[in-house]
Amino acid sequence: MKPLTVFWRGVSFALLWWVLAEGRMDGWWVGLCGVAAATWASLRLSPPRAGRLRAVPLLRFLAFFLWNSVRGGWQVARLALRPRLDLAPTTLDLAVMLPAGGARQLMLNTLSLMPGTVGVGLDDATLRLHVLDSRLPVAREARALEAHIARLFEVAP
Amino acid sequence: MSEFTSNSLLVVGAFFYFAGTVGLLRFPDVYTRLHALAKADNLGLGCVLAGLALQALETDGLAAALKLLLIWPLALAASAAVSYAIAQRAAALGVRPWQKGDE
Repeated sequence: MKPLTVFWRGVSFALLWWVLAEGRMDGWWVGLCGVAAATWASLRLSPPRAGRLRAVPLLRFLAFFLWNSVRGGWQVARLALRPRLDLAPTTLDLAVMLPAGGARQLMLNTLSLMPGTVGVGLDDATLRLHVLDSRLPVAREARALEAHIARLFEVAP
Repeated sequence: MSEFTSNSLLVVGAFFYFAGTVGLLRFPDVYTRLHALAKADNLGLGCVLAGLALQALETDGLAAALKLLLIWPLALAASAAVSYAIAQRAAALGVRPWQKGDE
């Protein structure tokens, strides 16, 4: 195990404790035990992998996600507040090219927060989506999301 | 200036909560209602938390502000998982999605 990984995880958990304690230092020894336990548990449950999440794709993914959750919220708000309700829902089956595991789960969960889509089912490599309005360019946006996640996990989509 | 930004964010957040609730009441079936909850309410929560974090930054310090912001990703993760669970269960029970032209 690389000592550097242990160090950075410890620092992250210490930072998290500082945030949770709202910057107070009077219970620092409880925090220290918590940080040690959390670091140990994280190394046990999620051992360092060969392919790490890289910083630049992560930032780009977060920006993409943030922008699209604003768009998604605005879109659904507009549809809800329209005087005459005008929905044309449909379902869409999409072949996922991401490998099974974390990448696919992230895609499924992110899609529920993106404009126009809610994940309904995932068997093997087919993702079933409920689409709020069939006029939205949902398939194209799902592909864009998939490409972002592929870069994030360094896998070929 | 910071107070103005903070208040604006709170008002915008309230607007999205309002729209999400209207959607929940007006949309025709479980799937479309999930759209209203998963998207509009989460955006509302994000705005409210950002507004509150700005206030906390001035009165309680950086850690308290970050603590408020930390709520957002946690609520998002829970909301995405719960929407999927509800949608999947509804589909497994054979609930047919509402289509244009249905009552």
